[in-house]
Amino acid sequence: MTGDRIDWIGALGALALLVVIPLIFGSSYIIGVMTVALCYGMWAASWDFMSGLTGRENFGHSLFIGAGAYTAGFLDVNFGLSPWWSLLAAPLVAVLFGILMGFPTLRLRGPYFALAMLSGSAVMQNLTIIFSVYTGGQDGLNGLTPLLDSTLAQYYLTLGFLAASGVLLRLIANSPWGLILRAIRGDEATCQAAGINVNFYKIASLMISAAVAGLGGALYAHYQLQVGPDLFTVVLSINIIIMVYVGGIGSIYGPIGGALLLNVLTETLRGLSEYRLWVYTLVLVVILFFLPQGAIAPLWRRIRRVLP
Amino acid sequence: MSALLQVEGLNKHFGGLHAVRDVSFSLQRGSITGVLGPNGAGKTTMFNLLSGFIRPDSGTVLFDGSPLVGLAPHQIVNCGVARTFQLARPFAGMTVLENVEVACLARRVRHSGAPRARAAALLDQVGLGSQADNEVDVLPYGDLRRLEIARALATRPSLLLLDEPFAGLGAGEVGPLADLIRALHKSEGLTILLIEHKLREFMQLVHEIIAMDFGEIIAVGSAAEIVRHPRVIEAYLGADDPVLELG
Repeated sequence: MTGDRIDWIGALGALALLVVIPLIFGSSYIIGVMTVALCYGMWAASWDFMSGLTGRENFGHSLFIGAGAYTAGFLDVNFGLSPWWSLLAAPLVAVLFGILMGFPTLRLRGPYFALAMLSGSAVMQNLTIIFSVYTGGQDGLNGLTPLLDSTLAQYYLTLGFLAASGVLLRLIANSPWGLILRAIRGDEATCQAAGINVNFYKIASLMISAAVAGLGGALYAHYQLQVGPDLFTVVLSINIIIMVYVGGIGSIYGPIGGALLLNVLTETLRGLSEYRLWVYTLVLVVILFFLPQGAIAPLWRRIRRVLP
Repeated sequence: MSALLQVEGLNKHFGGLHAVRDVSFSLQRGSITGVLGPNGAGKTTMFNLLSGFIRPDSGTVLFDGSPLVGLAPHQIVNCGVARTFQLARPFAGMTVLENVEVACLARRVRHSGAPRARAAALLDQVGLGSQADNEVDVLPYGDLRRLEIARALATRPSLLLLDEPFAGLGAGEVGPLADLIRALHKSEGLTILLIEHKLREFMQLVHEIIAMDFGEIIAVGSAAEIVRHPRVIEAYLGADDPVLELG
């Protein structure tokens, strides 16, 4: 069996597991936790596609998430449009932000892109407070319409979008496009000397990354039925980066696993109340210290090696 | 024979330093030309100007009749001018084959055959075929030079710019690399411009030498003429005697 085929079988197995879990643990609490985790999966995978592959770290991924979520909120709450429009509009608006941030900063060397993304998300967080008349300020926008009536159906819809975007990003990452992105990570000047339009690939990849993150933001908004300024926070961006590193950077599927793992871990630890962050941090430090390549992707590679 | 590359009045300042001063020369199709000069003579800066990594303050560069100044590096590569770097900077974390495969994706050659197969053939051509699946990080220094050349060749250039291809090579590696360059020149119909300091193999390889010092061209001629040229000798005096060393 080729390595690629084993990968797809593994992905199908993981997908089947995610399909079955809510049927076994049918509580709406678990379904809810899992739905949120799936959204994080989309955010982590989209971060990994741009930043994991090219090495240009994005410290403001929440900018795209918030942009997508607020687009959903505006269209639904302020304009009364059907929530399905959000799924189209949110990625578009996020892509617009991607162009706005990427075009001036990705062409520069050094940390400008990371810093611009960081400040971009912080600025948007403040704008939601300043224009509270439209955005609801700290309270955010409330009373969004769910996409589907049952939480289980909503879970499967989110799972479908995660699977589709995961497959899409993975296919691109394995294509010549992905090879070029990894070459950009290696050395930009050499990449130019190889006749590759480095800026085009960086900006286009950021747009793809933004679209998936924005779509995840809209799905999240229509599940929580509320959007708030916390969706623009740096903390959210950093959490996503941690999930990517725990999953295994540059593999797309690893970060999805990392997102699911850490979301479930956070919820499992809720019973520990104030000790929760202690344990969570300890687990993170242990994983990153002993497994600097991450946990999920290297584990899968090891399993793959022993398979026939 | 018509000129493939025509450089006219090229100038570049870095602050107060006039790194390249009124450089004009032309390269005949199918020629191998050397650029000779001591450290800081402006050789690499000139290469960066020709390949678009630095923009000149003034001057024109005509390649096959069309201007190159103002184009981005990748556009110049896609016009048919490829370069190697003095310090090889391979794509870390990728295999030797993948390193060349990237250049097979350049717009100019994207449709000239399967990138992977082309990359493999190029590695065979430069003598790195057995290393194809190794991580590039374990490649010894001399092989990195060959990899640089394979990557440049992948874009099917008509003009190849080699920035000190022999620098840092052991005595036993220089000859084979010179042979490789000679073979490629013949088989690919390349025009080659290469930078070197001072080297016997280099002198035997090139048809003509452009000698530079302090950003200026101080002499142009055959290897035999250049090593006896008073201004070239002057430029090297105090360092070592080129006449003696080059024999």
